[in-house]
Amino acid sequence: MADRTTDAFTSDDVWTPVSPRLITARRITLALVMLLAVAGVVALFLIPGVPRAWALAAAGVALVVFVWLWWLIGRRVRSFGYSERGDDLLVTSGIMFRRLVIVPYGRMQLVDVKAGPIDRWLGVTTVQLHTAAATTDAKIPGLVPDVAAALRDRLAQRGEQRSTGL
Amino acid sequence: MDPETTPPLPPTGSGSVVGDDLGLGLQLPGDGTVDAAGRRRVHPITPLVHAVSALPIALIVLFSLSIGGAFAIGARTVFLALALLVILPLVVGGISYLAWRNLWFWFDDDGDFRVDSGILTKKQRRLQLSRLQSVDVTQPLAARVFSLAEVTVEVAGSHDSRVRLRFLPLAAARDLRSELLARAAGLRHDVGEAPEAPIASVAPRDLAVSLVLRTVTAGLLLLTGLIIVFTVLTSGWGGLVLALFTGGLPILIVVGEFMKFFNFTVSQSPDGLRLRFGLAKTETRTVPPGRVQAIEFVEPLLWRRWNWVRLRVNIAGVGGTDSNGNTEETLLIPVATRDIADDIVARVLPGLDLAGMDWQAAPDRSRRRSPIQWSRLAVAWDDHVFVARRGRLTRRIMVIPHVRTQSVRLTQGPWERPLDLASVHVDSTPGPVKVMALHLDAGAARAIADAQALRAERGRAQDRTTRWAAEQLRDGASVEEPGAGQPDA
Repeated sequence: MADRTTDAFTSDDVWTPVSPRLITARRITLALVMLLAVAGVVALFLIPGVPRAWALAAAGVALVVFVWLWWLIGRRVRSFGYSERGDDLLVTSGIMFRRLVIVPYGRMQLVDVKAGPIDRWLGVTTVQLHTAAATTDAKIPGLVPDVAAALRDRLAQRGEQRSTGL
Repeated sequence: MDPETTPPLPPTGSGSVVGDDLGLGLQLPGDGTVDAAGRRRVHPITPLVHAVSALPIALIVLFSLSIGGAFAIGARTVFLALALLVILPLVVGGISYLAWRNLWFWFDDDGDFRVDSGILTKKQRRLQLSRLQSVDVTQPLAARVFSLAEVTVEVAGSHDSRVRLRFLPLAAARDLRSELLARAAGLRHDVGEAPEAPIASVAPRDLAVSLVLRTVTAGLLLLTGLIIVFTVLTSGWGGLVLALFTGGLPILIVVGEFMKFFNFTVSQSPDGLRLRFGLAKTETRTVPPGRVQAIEFVEPLLWRRWNWVRLRVNIAGVGGTDSNGNTEETLLIPVATRDIADDIVARVLPGLDLAGMDWQAAPDRSRRRSPIQWSRLAVAWDDHVFVARRGRLTRRIMVIPHVRTQSVRLTQGPWERPLDLASVHVDSTPGPVKVMALHLDAGAARAIADAQALRAERGRAQDRTTRWAAEQLRDGASVEEPGAGQPDA
């Protein structure tokens, strides 16, 4: 991506990408959801009275959506990045709707580290920063657990040094 | 009722004086009981108030049952109905009695406000007064009849940071409020109820007119009129059902806000701005200076003839989202002329000078993204605040102090991207005000976002509002030794 170094969202920052394992984790989740869709399509074929064409159309739509989401997951995960600067943390993400969140260390109230069952199995973790604003959306998914723990500790330490009241 | 000194409020037309009892003479003797350790209780009549509040619910249940034809009228069913009317309030009152027995509140030796409660699950809460955001005294209708009031204490915190004490005698509620505010401000707690000076009030007529003339409301009412005319002319009566929705919804909202903000008065007390409002349920809200997180001036098209504006605010811990997930409308005043609004704002955000700021407008190409409001889109900042402007029909100006900036977001949607535009959002605590500078040049927007994050971090170091009153020493007020309450963690 040639424009990633020049545009307003990514200029002159040192970005750390998230682990490509997140792509695998999300694609597994997608495949599990897809199983439900497959079950639905099979049911359409088995139920008497449903025209064969409808069932085929449903199967086609499900396949197209599956392939599109599969491809999209790769792009979305690669769009995630974070950068620790002197006074604040940057998190960027998104393709269609792009976002860049800047959280001054002094405003962090708490740092969450979370991992679901599939994430734990694959070794990916989500770090989420919270401020007093509900609209602060600073979530960094797809970190290797060691990296996540180290990041959390660094952030918590910087937050502590600078924090004051609301 | 007692030597309570409520200063005379400016005449605001008819209606009872907000923040007082209904004058039914149903005043009960006795105060909240105090035990040997100085712990206090709410008024012992509280279970009765709760029982009385349960009566309308029982009536509604009965009414809907009878509508549904669940029973035929007969001696037996009348007896059952009466039994329900007795039993439900008894149960509610009984639970409330148990809750009353277990509810204690007091100030501990560290200067923290402590609340113990719970019938089966015991809950002990400790509120750090240095983090106090506001104290509200409200009077639901049932409590008003008995001259009782509810005290709501808000501290800064992410979840469930609110304590509600139900119910105290009105005078005791006011005393508790001033004690909490005085302790939070770092003053000695026996300075008594702070005197107030009225600043502004809203006449019921102005409130009603302003509510009807808000852009969306007026638009829907106009649409309803057109639909009705159209359906009558064409005899296509189905349109009337639609008119019921397009007309009914805005009328409900107008009536709801009229009841809520009726007799709105703003006065200045040393504790901060004091707001009183409400028709059936009266509320008193004290906004300490420095606790205002963000302000928005709202100026609908049809208000401009009178130069009216509404002031919305974010106050940490107050309003935010209600149980339905809607953002509660928290206001400094529902409608006022620009001069009065500026006067109110000057008391919570001194030194705000919107006209003297260096406004940076959105580029001309933003017309292709927002053809109507593009010419109003602009952003500005000075040493203390960040300001953004938007809206053409309803003009909005959003103000957030740098010290209240929580985080900064830069966003770019699919329509902004080909035009090389981006928007800057400055995040505040939950509330009705969302500060956004829309559709700026992407490069400029990034620079503004970076600079705002830096100003937020720097502004922090100069924040002097946590124990504000102790710093601007009042005449005759003495200051507690610092260290009793920890500075904010």
